[in-house]
Amino acid sequence: MTDANIPIGSTNNQWGMNNTPLIEGSLYNSLVTDEREVHSMRVFLDLMWYFKKEKWNYGGGILVLALVSLLSLLPPYVVGVIVDHIDSGTLTEEVLLRWMLLLFGVAVTVYILRYLWRILIFGSAIRLARLLRNQLYDHFSRMSSSFFQKRRTGDLMAHSTNDIRAIEQTAGAGVLTLVDSITMGGFVIITMAVTISWELTLIALLPMPVMAYATSKYGSMLHARFTKAQAAFSSLNDKVQESMTGIRVTKTFGYEEEDVKTFKKESDDVVEKNIHVAKVDALFDPTISIIVGLSFFLSIVFGARYVVMDELTIGQLTSFTVYLGLLIWPMLAFGWLFNIVERGRASYDRVSALLKVKQDIVDKPGASEEPPAGDIEFKVNRFSYESSVEDALRDIHFRLERGQTLGIAGRTGSGKTTLIKTIMRDSDIEDGEIIFDGKPVDNYTLDALRASIGYVPQDHFLFSATIADNISFANPEAGYQEIIQAAKLAAIHDDIIRFEEGYETIVGERGVTLSGGQKQRISIARALLSNPELLILDDSLSAVDAKTEEQILQALRDIRRGKTTFITAHRLSAIKHADLILVLDDGKIVEQGDHEELMAGNGWYRKMYEHQQLESLVERGGQSS
Amino acid sequence: MIERHKHLLVPLPQGPVFKRLMAYGKPHLKWILIAFLLLVGGTGAEILGPILIKIFIDDFLTPRVFELQPLIMLGAGYLLLHVSAAVMNYSQLLLFQKIALRIIQQLRIDVFAKVEKLGLSFFDQFPAGGLVSRITNDTEQVKELYVSVLAIFVQNIVFLIGIFIAMFVLNVQLALFCLVILPLIILVMQLYRRFSSKYYAEMSEKLSQLNARLNESIQGMAIIQVFRQERRMNREFQKTNKEHHDAYFKSIKLDGLLLRPAVDFISIMTLVLVLSFFGITSLNSPVEIGVLYAFVNYLDRFFEPVNQMMQRLSIFQQAMIAAGRVFRLMDHDELAPVKQGEGDPEIKRGVIEFRNVTFSYDGRQDVLKNISFTVNEGETLALVGHTGSGKSSIINLLMRFYEIKQGEILIDGVPLKNYDDSELRKKMGLVLQDPFMFVGDIAHNIRLFDENISDLDVKEAAEFVHADNFIDRLSSGYNTKVGERGTTFSSGQRQLISFARTMAKKPKVLVLDEATASVDTETETLIQAALEKMRRGRTTIAIAHRLSTIKDADQILVLHQGEIVERGTHNELLEQRGLYHKMYLLQQGAEKLEGKMEEMKAEQL
Repeated sequence: MTDANIPIGSTNNQWGMNNTPLIEGSLYNSLVTDEREVHSMRVFLDLMWYFKKEKWNYGGGILVLALVSLLSLLPPYVVGVIVDHIDSGTLTEEVLLRWMLLLFGVAVTVYILRYLWRILIFGSAIRLARLLRNQLYDHFSRMSSSFFQKRRTGDLMAHSTNDIRAIEQTAGAGVLTLVDSITMGGFVIITMAVTISWELTLIALLPMPVMAYATSKYGSMLHARFTKAQAAFSSLNDKVQESMTGIRVTKTFGYEEEDVKTFKKESDDVVEKNIHVAKVDALFDPTISIIVGLSFFLSIVFGARYVVMDELTIGQLTSFTVYLGLLIWPMLAFGWLFNIVERGRASYDRVSALLKVKQDIVDKPGASEEPPAGDIEFKVNRFSYESSVEDALRDIHFRLERGQTLGIAGRTGSGKTTLIKTIMRDSDIEDGEIIFDGKPVDNYTLDALRASIGYVPQDHFLFSATIADNISFANPEAGYQEIIQAAKLAAIHDDIIRFEEGYETIVGERGVTLSGGQKQRISIARALLSNPELLILDDSLSAVDAKTEEQILQALRDIRRGKTTFITAHRLSAIKHADLILVLDDGKIVEQGDHEELMAGNGWYRKMYEHQQLESLVERGGQSS
Repeated sequence: MIERHKHLLVPLPQGPVFKRLMAYGKPHLKWILIAFLLLVGGTGAEILGPILIKIFIDDFLTPRVFELQPLIMLGAGYLLLHVSAAVMNYSQLLLFQKIALRIIQQLRIDVFAKVEKLGLSFFDQFPAGGLVSRITNDTEQVKELYVSVLAIFVQNIVFLIGIFIAMFVLNVQLALFCLVILPLIILVMQLYRRFSSKYYAEMSEKLSQLNARLNESIQGMAIIQVFRQERRMNREFQKTNKEHHDAYFKSIKLDGLLLRPAVDFISIMTLVLVLSFFGITSLNSPVEIGVLYAFVNYLDRFFEPVNQMMQRLSIFQQAMIAAGRVFRLMDHDELAPVKQGEGDPEIKRGVIEFRNVTFSYDGRQDVLKNISFTVNEGETLALVGHTGSGKSSIINLLMRFYEIKQGEILIDGVPLKNYDDSELRKKMGLVLQDPFMFVGDIAHNIRLFDENISDLDVKEAAEFVHADNFIDRLSSGYNTKVGERGTTFSSGQRQLISFARTMAKKPKVLVLDEATASVDTETETLIQAALEKMRRGRTTIAIAHRLSTIKDADQILVLHQGEIVERGTHNELLEQRGLYHKMYLLQQGAEKLEGKMEEMKAEQL
């Protein structure tokens, strides 16, 4: 009867006295005790700030746990007392009633206390998880795009889920096993030695180190074999991945059956490696059982001698064996503890490293909090991303009056997106500056600068929420009228009302699947809603047809009067009305002027324009519209 | 996800799932029986231990009679019992694991084989990632069901029954009393199961919401920031985080109320019952202390299995859901087209004819409309057209990946559907646009699974398509390892290997889907030379993106929105000054455009 109850989700970490095949993954790593793991215990020091913060809960929880351990000693004691009373014939109804009432009291108290420490300790642990998750989220929201480019979403997710979970386990089950094994183990041994016989205690404990040694030995064997089994599983996974993505080839050659045969072979390997694991795994229970049996045997044999010599009563001997049963858990818990803290420490290190990453775009002291509104001038001599030695932009110099439209063209990778990101201060420019409303952009707070900008990104990202929520993203307070107005401008209103739920339609995986063009137009509506001082469309019309494109551009010309607009496009029809058109290549301006000027020349712009005219003709099947 | 596949997301109900899972045990019946006997033996031996101690206490210790002979027997018996229990339990544990692993392997093979049998129409629509997770992750969860739920339940229930038998042997009356705890435990289990399934569902729902929000925010952080919604998103995340926390906390409370603390409460109360029984009995008549010892000892062991079983209830639920999804997939019927008609026609000449073929993937929109053409033996037919014009659909039909409903396709005058699948796969060589590489070595990628293709054939095929140039330069030659998706090779090299793969089969008909990926000029020249050689003397149907490569085709079909709008040779079509002519100009223009940009940059310098 132990207190090895684990918080939700890890229902498999259960060590029992008997019949406990130790099979699940989380256990495979356990019981591997070497120096590395002793260092892992430092994670408790790392978490000290939290333990201090929750000192009443943890203090209370530990106290209650200790109390439970202490009370657990009572039932075996009572058994001994009753046995002795029966043996000596001194048992009366009154005595029996008194002891039974006491046991009943213990049962109720222990029940309440066990419930209580769970609330105190596990409750604190999951609050820690919640706290860390909030911190991580807040931290993410301060990081610039370079942070996210350097890390994969999957990894960041893993830190926020698995790692936090491992830390939570440390602060919960880790604390529990540490306290429980020390208090329970200590109390039981002391009780056995003091109230019964220290000699018998020593004798009974003789086989226990063998158990500790054997289980730790098995543990490391298990760990090694489990790693192999996992490798086999992951190679099976790769095989399936390959088969599913290469199915066209397999079917072309008609090799389905052969492929199944290969899969069989791979799965044989998985089975074999897992049986390898099971061979060690199945050793735990019988070993524990034999050693515990031996311990019992020794206690009975030597205990009987003490009874004969009248140094011990039969009742005491009975209690003794029950106490012995109580010792198994603390012995095992220790091995398990190392497993928890080892993972907890690694996870805590990863999460705190992540939290330590500094914000790379920060507000300058004294930066203006007034959102800019006015002319824009680019004076960029050189700009490069930190990860690359090559310049991403060179000699970008131009001026745009408030209310004008800038068109940017060029091949893929020519620097169009980089150019617009610089005005949004996605990264800082080392040589040059961008003047917006009389001040360099880095003299505004990020918040003020962003307040002036409406941005439609290339990859038209929408949130899994209603269409209305997506359009009113920048201003959740916006009314339906504003939302519909923006949707009409972006030429998406008609599409939306055709959905059954209209503006309340959920977008994304759980809801309706939108076409690329629909997503683009919703992103445009989102940016238009706040009627920003500077509207940036980054190749945002690529997936809409020519007619809709013209409709949107016309609407923009009407409502954007007096406000500045940047448009990048592959399709030149999207920028031909711009006041200034830049053609970029390799981060440099190779042509500039308005449409007429560029068409008058004989450069790339004109060739591209003519080419695209022909292209649209071919797309229509050769009929000119 | 299309309508036809939506039901695959809904797991099958638990009843039939459980039955089918049990049916997987049938082939292993003999071993299950042996494992079960060992289990019973091991449990019995283990349970006998306390009875021996009881005999020692009652017959020797209490009366203080110590005869050496019986005592040694008793001691030796006790140790022997433990050792044999250990041996039997080890074998039993291992056997159950082995059986469970074999069952899962069979389940995996079954679902994999079933999926491989599905038609390409299925794979064209169902995301590959979803399939992989069904075949591996979901079955891995089912493994937990066998390994850590069913095995444990069987073992623990046998153990509990054993304890009760021992108790009945020791004292019928008291054992009957102890039976009272059974309904009590079952009641707690039921209560726990009822509430926990609700609470766990709520918690996992909140967790998936939390993860979805986090995942989405990480991906959309740029948008959140540019629209200055960090504070709001933070607030919303905190709200979801709190909801998850609250649901989690609720289940911790539930566990605290009904799991171990409750079972421990029952166990102390049972102890009270046993002690009271002995106490009261002893007031009137003498009792055997050894029996009391044994009872206390059994009770001590009784509750651990109960705890274990309760904690595994939630794994059980999850595994059943996973199994439900696996069986759904196994039941899905969207098989590849099968041979119809009698006889085993062979493709000897390679004359291909499409007669008024109209085709639709979804039954609503026709992607091919009334397509007719004939390709004579050894001739080349080229298909050109814009994306979505129906070129790939013609190939899908010709390869019999999809069944046609209107019109007819004939090879050597025999309807396509009368050919055996193996005949079609052998004689029709398809070169795919995406030259997929398998993990293994180069020789394997050329030979694939065909044992009849010798090393020499592999070499010849590679030489034929000019792939030997680069292969010979590799230090391990044909044994050079190919990693996942062949990323260590350039796209041109991969194409050459896939050519060799097709040519090694010496097909009668060649079907080419030209790759759009650009390769360096040197490789491009090799590829063109290889294609030219492959086509020679072989009926060929080719999808061409670069019109320059099909100038010498015997026939060119220009497709637009599923219809043949123009047909003829290269020169005839150019003279028509129609769509083909415009496409030709467009491609020439594109090349000039690239040149223009370089020219302008050069001027600037």
